[in-house]
Amino acid sequence: MTVNLQAIEQLATDQASLKAAAGLAKPAKWSGIGESHDAALVWGECAGSGANPYRVMADLRDLGSKCTCPSRKFPCKHVLALFWLKAEALAPFPAADAPDWVSDWLGRRRTGGSAKVASVAAEKDLHAARIAEPDPVEDEKAAARREAASARRAEETEHAIIDALDALEQWIGDQLRMGLGGLIDDVTARCRRIGSRLVDGKAAALAGQIDEMPARLLSLPTGDRVRGAAVELGRLVLLARAFRAEPSNPEIRRRIAVAESRETLLTDPATLRVKATWEVVAERVLTRRDGLVSQTTWLLNLGASGPRFAMLLDYFPASAGRRGSVFAAGDQFVGELAFYPAQAPLRAVLLGRETSDAKDRDWPEDAEPLSATLTAPLLAEPWVDAWPILLPAGRIGFDRTGAPWWRGHDGAYILPVSGQLGALATGSELSRTVGLWSGSRLELLAARTPWGRIDG
Amino acid sequence: MAEALLPALALVLTRWTMGGGAAAAAPADWRGALGAEAGEAELRLLALAGQLLGALTVVEPSGDVQMLPDIPTLAKPPLEPEQRPRARRLMLTLRETSQRRALLDLLERRGWTMHPSDWMPGTNEDDLPEVYSPWQDWVARAGPQGMDVEEDISAENWDQFGPAARRVAFAALRRRDPTRAAAVLAAKIASEPPDRRLLFLDMLAAGLSTADAPVFEALANDRAPRVKIRAATLLARLGQADAGSEDAAELAGFFTVKTKGWLRKSPEIVAQELKTPTQRNRRAALMDMLTFGALAQALDLTPKELVEAWPWGGDVQADHALAAMVERSAADAVVLLAAETMTAQATISLHGLYPLLPRLPADWRRRLALKVLATSGGAFMQALAIAGNDGEIDGVVATAAGEVLLSELAGRSDGERTGHAIELLAIGLLASQAAAVQALEKLAEAGLIASDPRLDMLRLNAALDPKGTKP
Repeated sequence: MTVNLQAIEQLATDQASLKAAAGLAKPAKWSGIGESHDAALVWGECAGSGANPYRVMADLRDLGSKCTCPSRKFPCKHVLALFWLKAEALAPFPAADAPDWVSDWLGRRRTGGSAKVASVAAEKDLHAARIAEPDPVEDEKAAARREAASARRAEETEHAIIDALDALEQWIGDQLRMGLGGLIDDVTARCRRIGSRLVDGKAAALAGQIDEMPARLLSLPTGDRVRGAAVELGRLVLLARAFRAEPSNPEIRRRIAVAESRETLLTDPATLRVKATWEVVAERVLTRRDGLVSQTTWLLNLGASGPRFAMLLDYFPASAGRRGSVFAAGDQFVGELAFYPAQAPLRAVLLGRETSDAKDRDWPEDAEPLSATLTAPLLAEPWVDAWPILLPAGRIGFDRTGAPWWRGHDGAYILPVSGQLGALATGSELSRTVGLWSGSRLELLAARTPWGRIDG
Repeated sequence: MAEALLPALALVLTRWTMGGGAAAAAPADWRGALGAEAGEAELRLLALAGQLLGALTVVEPSGDVQMLPDIPTLAKPPLEPEQRPRARRLMLTLRETSQRRALLDLLERRGWTMHPSDWMPGTNEDDLPEVYSPWQDWVARAGPQGMDVEEDISAENWDQFGPAARRVAFAALRRRDPTRAAAVLAAKIASEPPDRRLLFLDMLAAGLSTADAPVFEALANDRAPRVKIRAATLLARLGQADAGSEDAAELAGFFTVKTKGWLRKSPEIVAQELKTPTQRNRRAALMDMLTFGALAQALDLTPKELVEAWPWGGDVQADHALAAMVERSAADAVVLLAAETMTAQATISLHGLYPLLPRLPADWRRRLALKVLATSGGAFMQALAIAGNDGEIDGVVATAAGEVLLSELAGRSDGERTGHAIELLAIGLLASQAAAVQALEKLAEAGLIASDPRLDMLRLNAALDPKGTKP
């Protein structure tokens, strides 16, 4: 089974898609390319603008396809580029068993005939797509004007954010004066009002944090909500003060407004790049109140140097539908990550990955004493709500009320555990555990047991 | 230090809960840092207090933290990592309990078990292969701590076993020493809840002997009607029929026994024509209630004569009801005779056959399943229902039914090859490993791609080398 260039031209929704696909039809942009033994399916991973690569898969029998990117075009440029790689043999497609994510897609797929060929709005041409356009020449004056405009915009943004933070502190003061009991009773509406004000004031990340606050507070036991509210509001004050003290600090700015773009991160020579063997610990997908879906992937560094954990964070609109996961929990791979600058680097983007031959490497032992792991981020980033930790050997048990607790083998630490636990998490030794620690609660992400690895 | 601050912070939280300034109640050490301006002091106090309350006031467990025992290792090993994703996916997608049970049986036959992070029994899941009984008890938190399950179960140690382990231990004793098992059960069955009384009664059904009669007699007046009826029917299998009752005579009245043949006369049963629905319902009710032996006696026939004289294939409902009577209360030889008589005919009367299945030996059911598949209209799901969970049939697709399926699949274009998922699942559950490999080859020739998820069960089957002893 094969695909030809003419078919790709017909499939593309427009000339722009072909042009974009031409840019991606280069082996360097791809990893994990393969095809099924019967040559019916092809797949690969393509680096995009997000923290995760996109998973692209296609069925050559009817040219049906799927890509995990958020594009609304169907097929998207990644699928076209994969077809292109195949059609012109630009990259080798080694025969292999279809990975689970391809099988899953195939299982869900409606096979009701061949893929629709896009309605021909205008003639599309692969050759035209291949011609590189020269970069427009820019004169010095124009460049200076552009820079000045950019600096002015940055200044305006900063003013807008400071104004929004003033409004936030005013709001927090009001809540204290009117009573946290009242806030908890009316938390959704009140948070929504101040959240919109923050969005107007360009403090989008902070608005996102406040949007999720009602859900976090209401998930606490009733008697613990006032304390929870004081903790949440206290963090907001700390963050607001930190921004005022150092508005250009990228780490604080990321928490208040928006993260640097991938390009900014990659062009900065100071960016920390770490190549190591990583294990995908867990993935969390959350639909947020603002209609965005956040996809967080937690990676554990199995090597000796570099940050112990990395977090890949992507957002896409909920209306784009369910996206397949890029990784399966438990995957181990050698890959290079670029970390966003921070005192304790955690958030990162994946630059490239190789498949690891070293199957199932064991988890390392954390060199830090547990007391430091549990409290260090409180000093570095006192506004952070939870951070990943690697726990030593221990076990989960239950107290008299049936609440679960993790207890280390040395008995020095006993930590309250939240969320649903599988049978193995409570019926087995946990030689290592990775969880999100909020300072008062442990959410299990994964653990290693005599039965093998388990997910939290 | 945190402990010293907590009383002051409790007061601060109380003020904020009601609303109003709390700076005046702040811990003395902090007051200098709060500043003079009232609004600002509240925010600073909130930042300080929030961090302390968020991080340094970890709650304590109430009472001791108790650890659960380890999930027990089963008698057969968990699946290899390569097979686990497929088995997990199947467990999630199979909706019917019977299909999940069939998958567990397939694994068990080949010497494997599920991995506990892929599947654990639910608390109310009783119908599982015996190998999982340690997990059932673990789930029910009633695990027999330190109990040596190898030790024979007796009336004295009965209560020390968890419910699932008790069943297994009893089954083991029943196999080794049926008479002693019956004596133990006679002493202890009354202490079990009704559902388990039924389960234990069913466990006596295999290898039934007159030594079991006291158990059934003790349950003749059981509180639960189901238990009472089951005990009566089992007693009937021992030949102790409730003969001569008026009901039996009434049921016999629905049939006439004639003789046929000139040289060798043999009896022939003719059903009376039923004129009203009331008559039909009454006959069905009587057949549901009475034992096979009682009917035979009322018709003045031996059980063998009753089976041979019955007009099989004449009335579907009556066939089904009589077969159910045979299954419930006739001796093993009569069950086999009924199955033979039914299948000797050109077309198998499945209505009559289905009720008998639980009492037919595995090789019998396999043979019948193949017979169904040998007809071109045969369906794999029917064959699966007949073969039960013993499967391991060779040449499953090299049958008339297999040829029909393959030609249907081959005749379609790629886009239309949907459907048939149930058939492909059934093939995967029925086939021996060699037959599964063969089926996959034939299906690939018919145009199905290897990664088609409908082939999951077949691929799992083909990949499972028999680890234990093959049946």
